[in-house]
Amino acid sequence: MVGQAAVTLKGVTKKFGEEVTAVDDVDLEIRDGEFFSLLGPSGCGKTTTLRMIAGLEFPTDGSVQIFGEEMGLRPPNKRPVNTVFQSYALFPHMNVEQNVGFGLRMQKVEPSEIARRVGEAIDLVRLSGMEKRAPNALSGGQQQRVALARALVNRPKVLLLDEPLGALDLKLRQTMQLELKDIQHEVGITFVYVTHDQEEALTMSDRIAVMNEGKLAQVGTPEEIYGSPVSLFVAGFVGDMFFLPGEIAEAGAVRLAGGQIVRAKTSSAAGTAVTLTLRPEMIHLYASRSELPPDRNTLDGTIARKIFYGDSMFYEVDVGVVGSFDVRVENAPSMRRWEVGDSVVIDFHPESATALAE
Amino acid sequence: MTLNQGAAARPWVDRILAINGWLVFAFLYLPILVVIVFSFSASPNVGIWGGFSLRWYDRMFGNEQLMNALRNSLWVAAWSTVISTVLGTAAALAIDRYRRWLGRGVFDAVLYLPVIIPDVTMAVMLLMWFTQVNITLGRLSIILAHIAFNISFVAIVVRARLANMDPAMEEAAADLYASRWQAFRRITLPLIMPGVLGGGLLALTLSLDDVVITSLVQGPGSATLPVYVFGLIKRSVTPEINAVSTLMLAASIFLVLASLAFQRRGERSG
Amino acid sequence: MTILDEREGNRETAVNPKLERRARRRDAWRGFFHAAPAYLYLTLFFTLPLIIVFVFSFASRGRTGRPLLEGWNIDSWTRLFEPLVRTIALRSFWLAVLNTALCLLVGYPFAYWIATRRKQATRNILLVAVLIPFWSNFLVRTYAWRMLLDSDGYITQFGEMTGLWGRLLFTVPAVFLGLLYGYLPFMVLPLYAAIERLDWSLVEAGRDLYASGAAAFRRITLPLSRPGIVAGSILVFIPSLGAYVTPDILGGAKTTLLGNYIVTQFGAARNWPFGSSISGAILIVMLAVTVFYFRSGGRTL
Repeated sequence: MVGQAAVTLKGVTKKFGEEVTAVDDVDLEIRDGEFFSLLGPSGCGKTTTLRMIAGLEFPTDGSVQIFGEEMGLRPPNKRPVNTVFQSYALFPHMNVEQNVGFGLRMQKVEPSEIARRVGEAIDLVRLSGMEKRAPNALSGGQQQRVALARALVNRPKVLLLDEPLGALDLKLRQTMQLELKDIQHEVGITFVYVTHDQEEALTMSDRIAVMNEGKLAQVGTPEEIYGSPVSLFVAGFVGDMFFLPGEIAEAGAVRLAGGQIVRAKTSSAAGTAVTLTLRPEMIHLYASRSELPPDRNTLDGTIARKIFYGDSMFYEVDVGVVGSFDVRVENAPSMRRWEVGDSVVIDFHPESATALAE
Repeated sequence: MTLNQGAAARPWVDRILAINGWLVFAFLYLPILVVIVFSFSASPNVGIWGGFSLRWYDRMFGNEQLMNALRNSLWVAAWSTVISTVLGTAAALAIDRYRRWLGRGVFDAVLYLPVIIPDVTMAVMLLMWFTQVNITLGRLSIILAHIAFNISFVAIVVRARLANMDPAMEEAAADLYASRWQAFRRITLPLIMPGVLGGGLLALTLSLDDVVITSLVQGPGSATLPVYVFGLIKRSVTPEINAVSTLMLAASIFLVLASLAFQRRGERSG
Repeated sequence: MTILDEREGNRETAVNPKLERRARRRDAWRGFFHAAPAYLYLTLFFTLPLIIVFVFSFASRGRTGRPLLEGWNIDSWTRLFEPLVRTIALRSFWLAVLNTALCLLVGYPFAYWIATRRKQATRNILLVAVLIPFWSNFLVRTYAWRMLLDSDGYITQFGEMTGLWGRLLFTVPAVFLGLLYGYLPFMVLPLYAAIERLDWSLVEAGRDLYASGAAAFRRITLPLSRPGIVAGSILVFIPSLGAYVTPDILGGAKTTLLGNYIVTQFGAARNWPFGSSISGAILIVMLAVTVFYFRSGGRTL
């Protein structure tokens, strides 16, 4: 299934007026059957990109293709895609069944066929028994499912979702994430998913495009985006990250602010000012270097603060001019406890640290 | 929904506010009630109770001139309401749903003017214009004048409704394979209907109430009911006027309640 | 990787950038066509008549009072400064100002009282009770006072009996009463809308920061309800200034206001150019007031 290009954007630019460039020369290929996320902070152009695929906006320059077909000025009702809107945009004067059947009625599908497919779609999103309810009488999560069924019932080649879980509370959001993923698996349609929630993008997507200020910052699998960010923006936006200023001492080695040299992944030349990025979960605390194998990166620090969190302890470790680290340690019986003022050694694997130039 | 504590005034302040409130209501309603009550008085002397009677209503319905004026009123109101509702709704859509077109700014300003311009100036303007372009003063000129002020009121009411409608509704319709016309017919129109009906009722009320503009642009035999009654009042006060007034009040109240009912329905569906 | 390698090569297949402009232009035409009927209508039956008022005010007066489109002059405008016109204009102006002030004075506590009822249902019922006189026929409501103030009516009898007032009908106080009665609902509705929208937690915050009840009202509630005050004042002031029905029914010959004076020029006085110049002057005042309103941050009336 995955392979052929479902959506292709070539040099797509969207300007609003003379000043605002919402999307700036974006090239992107979304493959058939993929769960693809557009991730970025608000105003990064992700929604505008989605709307250009849907036909709700037209690009100022560039081309949008869906399964190889040039979309040009084709209006939304003539495109083989459907959208789940952020506000759901359920028609308040129609009940659930009428909402879901709207697209099929507009396409003049046989009434018996409409009834069958609407029934299936409502089953798919587990809303059976609510067919006659008005959208206003449904909970947020249920409205979200109606919006999903209303789009999926048309069997679009690509389903576009614009922050569909944004209005739901955390718990419901997590349930719906799993459910969306299951549904995508079941129907096998390409999903293009817009979100500003990096965790959501990481857990659900096959691939992610991180956007910033209208441009693509990085495209890759969740593992690539999380593990090997190509820029400080991506590193900071996706997941928690420590940033340590320094410069490249020699190939594969970074000199930190305190003069310590640590080994890290890098592609910059010696002498370049870089920021060393480090995931918090890659850091471990030890009492002395002798407890560690020799090839590790280590830094000396002092416990400055500790906070009890129930399932874990939280230590703030002061490493002088290098900075301070917030380290979480699981409260397992085997774990060592530290007190404020204790000297510790911070340890991290060279493979888990990436040095990025500005 | 209940209000916040911040709104609560001290008891004595609240009591004064309540007294003032009921006094204002008395001020607003007593004069109207007096007119209604005395329309059922048998006495030919206005303001003196002479026992219950329907004779003034009887006389009203027998008054051929008055009945003619009533027919004129209904004719004018019907036409001006229908036309101004259609034009005003289209104008509201043009301004709210299309952001950029030639002359939009000017149109937006012109659309508000008939609402704030005093009746007298509007009347004088139209009288001079009709004479200048040789439109005979009569029912036609009255209808033309009423449409001119009603378009704006309809447009304002419909626009308020459109502003409360999620633009994603129309986008969703287009996304679900509806053509522009289908999206309008199946989604936009039903959703703004309370506004359209409310605007229409406002136009109807304004048309049925207007005295000043109509009295200047009327021709022989085309006087509407309020214009005819205005003439009667200037001559003398008669119990028959009480009866007509009661009828007109009843019509007004019916129209308010109808428009509130539409609004209610709109809130529930919107 | 997905970022296309042969970007430059793919440029050739990119669509024409003029497409979006074409889409925008198509949308612009759609908007224009929606507005066109109303636009045309208002041009024909509002804008052109509006212009003609100013044109005719410079024309000379024909035998029948109609303007002659020759002998252009500014006589009609200089006549505005005649003592009689000045008296009428000043009377109209002060009456309109006074009426606006009184409507505000009576209407504000009234609207405040309705807007601060605890239950939504109570507020709704009281609001409907305001809407009914608001929508009721203006002529009939004015007529009600004509009847109440009639020489053998109870109000006159009471006034004469107590010696507090004599005959009120056809005097300035009667016109004033009629205007207050006629336009009070126009003041109450926007005030109610503004006060009901108010965020009461701001008032609470004020009280929390040691403001007395009166100070909180003056420093917080009153400024926040300003849009309602301005909108209501305009809705009362402009029609009061051009009032015609009220002075005609409740005022006598001695209480002519601008509205009646203008109409007279088109009837008995037979002087259309002069009527035009007075109307033109009112229009200018009205536009100035409205512009002031929009400048002071108002959006809708």
